[in-house]
Amino acid sequence: MTGLAWASLRHRVTANASTFVSVLLGAALIGAFATLAQTGAGEVSADDAETLRIMGIVVGGWGSAIVLFSVASTLGITVRQRAEEVGLLRVVGATPRQVRRLVLAEAAVVTGVAAVLGALVAWPAGFVLLALLRNGGMVSDTVEYGGGPAALAVTVVLVVLTGLLAAAVTARRTTGGPATLAIAEARSGAGRMRWWRVLIGLLLVGYGVAMAVVTITVTAHDSDPYAAMSTSGSSSILVGIGLATLSPLLLRWLSSACAPAVGRTGVVGWLAAWNTSRRPHLLGAVLAPVIVLTAGAAGVLMLVGIDHRTIGAGHPEGDTINLLNNLVTGMIVVFAAVVVVNAFAAVVAGRRAELQRLRLLGATPTQVERSVLAEAGIVAGIGVLLGLVASLATVVPFAVARDEGVVPDGQLWLPVLVAVATVALTLVAARSAVRRLGPLTGAVR
Amino acid sequence: MTTHPALEVTGLTRTYGDGPNAVHALAGVDLAFAPGSFTAVMGPSGSGKSTFLNCAAGLERPSAGRVLVDGRDVTEDDEDARTRLRRERLGFVFQGFHLLPYLTAEQNVGLPLRLAGRRSDRARVRGLLERVGLADRAHHLPTALSGGQQQRVAIARALVTEPAVLLADEPTGALDTITAHEVLALLRDSVDTLGQTVVMVTHDPVAAAYADTVVFLVDGRVAGRMDGPTADAVAGQLAHLDQLTRVVAS
Repeated sequence: MTGLAWASLRHRVTANASTFVSVLLGAALIGAFATLAQTGAGEVSADDAETLRIMGIVVGGWGSAIVLFSVASTLGITVRQRAEEVGLLRVVGATPRQVRRLVLAEAAVVTGVAAVLGALVAWPAGFVLLALLRNGGMVSDTVEYGGGPAALAVTVVLVVLTGLLAAAVTARRTTGGPATLAIAEARSGAGRMRWWRVLIGLLLVGYGVAMAVVTITVTAHDSDPYAAMSTSGSSSILVGIGLATLSPLLLRWLSSACAPAVGRTGVVGWLAAWNTSRRPHLLGAVLAPVIVLTAGAAGVLMLVGIDHRTIGAGHPEGDTINLLNNLVTGMIVVFAAVVVVNAFAAVVAGRRAELQRLRLLGATPTQVERSVLAEAGIVAGIGVLLGLVASLATVVPFAVARDEGVVPDGQLWLPVLVAVATVALTLVAARSAVRRLGPLTGAVR
Repeated sequence: MTTHPALEVTGLTRTYGDGPNAVHALAGVDLAFAPGSFTAVMGPSGSGKSTFLNCAAGLERPSAGRVLVDGRDVTEDDEDARTRLRRERLGFVFQGFHLLPYLTAEQNVGLPLRLAGRRSDRARVRGLLERVGLADRAHHLPTALSGGQQQRVAIARALVTEPAVLLADEPTGALDTITAHEVLALLRDSVDTLGQTVVMVTHDPVAAAYADTVVFLVDGRVAGRMDGPTADAVAGQLAHLDQLTRVVAS
């Protein structure tokens, strides 16, 4: 089985490279903050320990949630793309268990190697991060870098386990049912969402909304001006991840709603509209990071802006807190951007045969490229819309808490900027993914 | 009135690689297919059947020779012109059906019209679905259709642009005997009632017996033809061709 896994790995270079990059970057990020937490656990003053612990655990924790979510979704794409091959293996006599082992072996190799390399990057990255904190005066100059094998090992284990879990869940989905059915389903890319996934999504959204309500009703009146931030700051990311978890469902509803309008723009829009609404699982994997990217960036950046306008600039804690906020945002933006690009590359690479079919039927290369761009446009539009809605979970309660009212007093251009940048990123990702396929000519059976 | 052949190839040659390792997939094939004719192209593996079809469809550029569709020389066409040729003058039926999984039967049939920038003619699409016996399945996705039904949708799709030639590549290769018969009867019917020209590559003597004429390819050359074929006669001829190839190889 291992030999087969190895052969199949090399067969799907683009998709596996996408997973590899996500895991490597994710492990580097989580690992860097884990070394901070480990440094804080060493021989440092109580204040420094507190700062490092917050840095490592709070920021690192948030980063981990996003990174793990992304790794899971990228790996999910690669596993789902194999549905056809899985069907074939089942037909020639592989048991569901054997197929799952093959998929897991492959995921283990990719995530394992990438996680170890990421951890190696994390070690110097953590060192640089600590130097930044020392130079910024956030920890005393005497703090020595204490990152080591323990923090890195925890990181590798965490990342690999998440990857394997994601692969196992998706593999179970693709291998379920009788052998012949597996092939039929491979062509659809549709399928229902599992109840627990819907439940997790709803819980995350519900929790985020509840925190927003708590912010307005309770922590807004707290004597500590940062109490409101602690309850509302993460709401946009939580709601964003919640909506991202529900992305296939939301994509089906929303793209079905706009399909008739988009379909009238011509054959390119027509194809894109039906593809997004009838195969929501396929592009749902791209929609998810777009939502998280928009929600996180718009939510936290607006939060920092509101804080700066109201009391942050003069407050002693303000600088530290806003550095933390900007770090989280930066992490989210960089990471979600990488995932958007990766996810698109993986999704498009898996559709080569289908796009080639369009060419055979007489679509020009421009028509094929534009139909993928139109899909990206639909996904980006829906993702940005949902992301901005999610960002309200942070922006509105915090603006209310800081007496700016439901609509913040300034920086209203910021969400627009985030939206424009995200849409542009998604379109560029789609374009490069199609171009990477090369010419779609030649014969197919 | 002079009528051009719907499809004509002259001196068609296709060589892969060069020097002593060159493989001659087609070594000078001359064939003409009259409008409203049904021709089966047969031959053992590696005889150049698929290469012939790919060259005729503009998917591969021949090394030498000419391809004429409806009397027009398309050999030197650029990629854009070939694409237009495919969607306006040629219809395709493949072994693997090649329906788009996210479009309904009706949408799949109308797709070539839309790609050509025309409106999907609802009445025409409906008429074709009725013709292939799938009017009641118009709103089904391919996953909800059997293999035979999917291939019937593909035939309706190939006919929708009223192409000069319908090219079929092993159209029954993935089907059982009974559904294969339905599909072949449909192709035969499109020739008889619509005057459609059909060129079908197959290795199945039973499938070839539905055609008016069978052309045998061996080692990239036309090795014989048979009018009014029966399955037995074709099978007999094929066995003979196999011996011929063995002689050539040794």
